Amino acid sequence: MASKVVDLRSDTVTKPSEAMRAAMAAADVDDDVLGADPTAHRFEAEMAAVMGKEAALFVPSGTMGNLISVLVHCDVRGSEAILGDNSHIHVYENGGISTIGGVHPRTVKNNPDGTMDIDKIVAAIRHPDLHYPTTRLICLENTHGNTGGKCLSVEYTDKVGEIAKSHGLKLHIDGARIFNASVALGVPVDRLVKAADSVSVCLSKGLGAPVGSVIVGSKAFIDKARILRKTLGGGMRQVGVLCAAAHVAVRDTVGKLADDHRKAKALAEGLKKIEQITVDSASVETNMVFFEVMDPRISPDKLCQVLEQDNVLALPANSKSIRFVIHYQISDADVGYALACVEVCESLDPFPSFTVIAFDFSCDSTISCFQKAIKELLEGSTELGHSINGATKSSYGH
Amino acid sequence: MATKVVVDLRSDTVTKPSEAMRASMAAADVDDDVRGADPTARRFQEEMAALMGKEAALFVPSGTMGNLVSVLAHCDVRGSEVILGDDSHIHLYENGGISTLGGVHPKTVRNNSDGTMDIDSIVAAIRPPGGGLYYPTTRLICLENTHGNSGGKCLSAEYTEKVGEIAKSHGLKLHIDGARIFNASVALGVPVDRLVRAADSVSVCISKGLGAPVGSVIVGSKAFIDKAKILRKTLGGGMRQVGVLCAAAHVAVRDNVGKLADDHRKAKALADGLNKIEQFRVDSASVQTNMVFLDIVDSRISSNKLCQVLGTHNVLASPRSPKRLVLHYQISDDDVQYALTCFKKAAEQLLMGSTELEHLAEQLLMGTTKNSYGQ
Repeated sequence: MASKVVDLRSDTVTKPSEAMRAAMAAADVDDDVLGADPTAHRFEAEMAAVMGKEAALFVPSGTMGNLISVLVHCDVRGSEAILGDNSHIHVYENGGISTIGGVHPRTVKNNPDGTMDIDKIVAAIRHPDLHYPTTRLICLENTHGNTGGKCLSVEYTDKVGEIAKSHGLKLHIDGARIFNASVALGVPVDRLVKAADSVSVCLSKGLGAPVGSVIVGSKAFIDKARILRKTLGGGMRQVGVLCAAAHVAVRDTVGKLADDHRKAKALAEGLKKIEQITVDSASVETNMVFFEVMDPRISPDKLCQVLEQDNVLALPANSKSIRFVIHYQISDADVGYALACVEVCESLDPFPSFTVIAFDFSCDSTISCFQKAIKELLEGSTELGHSINGATKSSYGH
Repeated sequence: MATKVVVDLRSDTVTKPSEAMRASMAAADVDDDVRGADPTARRFQEEMAALMGKEAALFVPSGTMGNLVSVLAHCDVRGSEVILGDDSHIHLYENGGISTLGGVHPKTVRNNSDGTMDIDSIVAAIRPPGGGLYYPTTRLICLENTHGNSGGKCLSAEYTEKVGEIAKSHGLKLHIDGARIFNASVALGVPVDRLVRAADSVSVCISKGLGAPVGSVIVGSKAFIDKAKILRKTLGGGMRQVGVLCAAAHVAVRDNVGKLADDHRKAKALADGLNKIEQFRVDSASVQTNMVFLDIVDSRISSNKLCQVLGTHNVLASPRSPKRLVLHYQISDDDVQYALTCFKKAAEQLLMGSTELEHLAEQLLMGTTKNSYGQ
């Protein structure tokens, strides 16, 4: 049985590199709540400069990054924020902007490319009325997760920024994977987010830091954000230990994102060759691949279970499709292995004649794990319900 | 004359991670804790639950989040009210978050100078169940042990249990803001799990006197922690490979609980030394743990000026009045003696009306805040 795990569930599973670990151990730190941690200061200044904004603030998670941003822009009671009906903030952040922040969401349909129609955004903006909350904010998500890691172009972002400005609204970008978008589009990240009043950027996803995100914006915005961060409980003390790792992540891993995109494309092309799989490989823009299984007897859940037996971890994206996410700790060989496992799963049916499949991998254990998977499916094994590390069967949009 | 040594008496939050902590962070076995997969986080949480005598535990980025999550988990029905001290950290120094974010209404009861609230005042503050048309519903009582604003005072196990009985008999929960609960346990000579037995939840800081770089832990029943986990995520405290922080926290608990008694001894020494300086007075008997409250009895010396002059000698103290001085294990006995010398010198300088040092002191103090934030 192959002992290596190929974890394609998300890019959140990246583990800190040796360089990050060394940086954490050596970090020059002090009490950041008192504003004194030099490593945090340095990192925040660096991120502000990279993103072309006045200031930055390190936060424990992307959820907090978005929550703070929405709450700062919508600090007056009775506010409404326009965002995509398939956006991470709306679907996967516990409704916190409302339950914690008292902000009302107004959703607009997300197109398969991650955008919302401009005219629908405009139509969603409230005019003053006895019955209406006050629209204060528009949120975009770049790359857009649920549509497959799609990039919003700089032109589209600028256009939404104009709409926001002309209506006196703010624009926030959930840029958890903004560097993926920047690399895929070939647009410098500061140019890409120029129209935004604030951006939330994850360090702990594809960039590989153990913890954290950064919010960037104007100095006035960040000053307010800092207080909200404290209020939410995100004020950490010698947080330079985490910022040191985050700095290494930005320094070392942004340059590897293009490779993740290449591997995702290779994975998509490989999946396309498997008969029972449909994948729109042209729509693979960054590090995510969504694919569907045509055989109604094989549900996404079932396929993920069988893949798990071969130490390939994946999550169903919905009732019809599965999502694979690539990050720099997935090698080309891992991609090949994953493809092979999918192929094996798809080549079986409930009552097969025994098929021997040969692969040009040198790893004997690879063959034996396939044989085991074949055996189990042949026997109609029902012991597939276990999961590794508490992995859930649903995607939580990470 | 200023030396290279800085004696930082502002708070025990300024402790820096030890070599052992740094090594453990670098070597930590980690995974995605949002998926419940980080082995170091799990191990540490189990350790803390066992230590505190509760079913389960949850690592959070700060004491503020520990308290916020706890209050919100106990008061998850709209229209809830919580009883807490008028001089408590939750009420004064947590941005009113339980209300502004959580929609929970506070009902304050006066804190005595020993950190307690009178039992009959607590009972009187509980809303009568029948008065629903006008009243929110009391769901929770919060205690703070040690109590910061009264000088690091310990609430006894007996008092805690009495409040626990009140809570139980009225169908309320009891939460302890135990940021410095280990200080209380050590000073009282009561095992920490016994001290918090009556509580439904406790928030414990690892980043204060115990010296970890970041974090607190909430402990409680499994059902409570399950709710707390979701609230933590909602507030944005769900961190990924958080084992890097839990590794350091584990070292903090392992290595530094045993040093707290020494902090208390140094606090007493500092108090006694300050009492020997004519212009200062400390109620030594009231120094129970690692905090000393200093009164300036000479009106010619202002708290702010004293702070500035001390700063020129690299002794950092908060300008609030009465001045709070906090000991931790990274302050040595020599540091205490040095600080005492500086206090004496500072008093003399200020009485001589020396003003040329103010300009220098201002420069040194750039970047430090002028207010205490209750930490």
